[in-house]
Amino acid sequence: MNKEFNPEVMIEVIDLHKYFKDLHVLKGVSTKITRGEVVAVMGPSGGGKSTFLRCMNRLEEPSSGKIIVEGIDITSPYVDINKVRTEIGMVFQLFNLFPHLTAIENVKLAPMNVRKVSDAEATERGLALLEKVGLSDKAHNYPDQLSGGQQQRVAIARALAMQPQIMFFDEPTSALDPEMIGEVLDVMRAMADEGMTMVVVSHEMGFINEAADRILLLAEGVIVEEGTPEQIFKHPTQQRTQEFLGKILSV
Amino acid sequence: MSESKSARSAILAELRRMQHHVPWHRRDEFVGASLLALILYAALLPRTGSPSVVQWAVIGAFFALALAWGGLILSDVRMPEWVKTLTAFVLLFLGGWLFYRYSDADWERLSHVFFNWELMKDPMEGGATGWDILLDGLWLTVQIAFFSAIFSTLIGLLLAVFRSFENRILNIFIIAYIDFFRAMPIIVLMVLAYYALPYTGIVLDAPVAGVLVLSLNSSAYVSEIFRAGILSVHHGQIEAARALGMNPVQTMRLVILPQALRVVIPPLTSNYVASAKDTAICSSITILELLKSALQFQAFKANPTAIIAATVIYILIFVPLTRLAGVLEVRMKTGRAKA
Repeated sequence: MNKEFNPEVMIEVIDLHKYFKDLHVLKGVSTKITRGEVVAVMGPSGGGKSTFLRCMNRLEEPSSGKIIVEGIDITSPYVDINKVRTEIGMVFQLFNLFPHLTAIENVKLAPMNVRKVSDAEATERGLALLEKVGLSDKAHNYPDQLSGGQQQRVAIARALAMQPQIMFFDEPTSALDPEMIGEVLDVMRAMADEGMTMVVVSHEMGFINEAADRILLLAEGVIVEEGTPEQIFKHPTQQRTQEFLGKILSV
Repeated sequence: MSESKSARSAILAELRRMQHHVPWHRRDEFVGASLLALILYAALLPRTGSPSVVQWAVIGAFFALALAWGGLILSDVRMPEWVKTLTAFVLLFLGGWLFYRYSDADWERLSHVFFNWELMKDPMEGGATGWDILLDGLWLTVQIAFFSAIFSTLIGLLLAVFRSFENRILNIFIIAYIDFFRAMPIIVLMVLAYYALPYTGIVLDAPVAGVLVLSLNSSAYVSEIFRAGILSVHHGQIEAARALGMNPVQTMRLVILPQALRVVIPPLTSNYVASAKDTAICSSITILELLKSALQFQAFKANPTAIIAATVIYILIFVPLTRLAGVLEVRMKTGRAKA
């Protein structure tokens, strides 16, 4: 590395490209995410939002470019990506809770097996996290006994149980019934207030307006525009941004 | 446009006119009369041990008519349930009637030869009775079934897990293995393993050869079952596990296999039952399991009662086991099996 490690930069993405066979999904994305920042990624579907997020913890292998997480180039083949992933919590659109485990077992599984935390300690911390997301009474329920909103909150607790430095949210409310979106966004808002670094792929305008420090507008594989919610929502400069906002606002 | 409209109104008018009309084949008179005709026909069925072509045709026509009659009633929504129940009994009775008319059996002689239970209690040379021999055979059958279940599970699971790594070369080998053992008749493999393998210097005791062949055969099926189980786990599960920092082995052990096992238990159980039935094939390589013991008794006493006894034992063991497989299947379908 020719550059000094700057502890304020959580993730630096440099000229990221991703191909699926012949499909060029990401066409040179570069950005920096600083500690404590909440970054919202918006854009039309098929624009590469999820792929961008998933490249940053290598659920998708980047085709070229560099991704530096806390000074570690995770595109290097010598990096133990499992170790890096423990620093990055991820919340999925479809929750992806483990259906054979109860809520508390879902939360405990990774700390006990990856971080080798003792059962007692993992249980104690897991229950605290479930309490934090408002679900301490559901600790021993299986995922299929929980509503979508409750499942997503357990999924957030599960990700937090690894005590990550940064959290990724991949359309966390898109699969939820409208009346359950609020409870998930409340949890996310509380995390943002506590200073968690977050990257959120979402179209929840209210949440983004309130909680996000910066919006990346990703369309056709490039960052079309970026700025504060104020700038993007009120004074978009690019035509692509205006078109996109026009579409989601007319819904 | 107008033409099709008038055609449609003609159809509707016809439907309105016919709405309370019962077609002839649904009328009670017809259904009752055809039952009488069938009963008369049944009484006239040829009574001989080896029917001629014409007689076969007469029998065939009878059963075709009987099934058509039964189908007519069972498919009629107006028919009360008790009529349908009665119809079912009539059909079953007619099937038995054919056997009775055709068989011309000497029931007394039959029972003396095949159900000679006294003979089973006779001690043979060495003092063992027929029952002793059969029970020894049963014990061996159980052991063979047990060990081949264990080994086939281990081999099958291993193959399925390695196949999920999607290595090209390994997969060609694994698929070839599975195809080979699913295609080969077990008895051929068993004869080869016991009689041909010694020429390569590999000499196996008969029971070892039996267990080996049954395990290899069954493992091919077990591996396909496990593979289906692994594939049934949603891809998001793997992503969630990897995103939490689990390595591939932890993901397999903690997330995929526990979920796959649930899916896999019912088909696995019926596979074990099928494989346990195949232990009878071991009789072809001198293994004194249940069938071979019965055959040996028959050879000594020139009486097949032991084979009937073995049949009863097979039924007593395997009917509950196949039921169990069915019950598990229903339970898995209706909800999560609580740990």
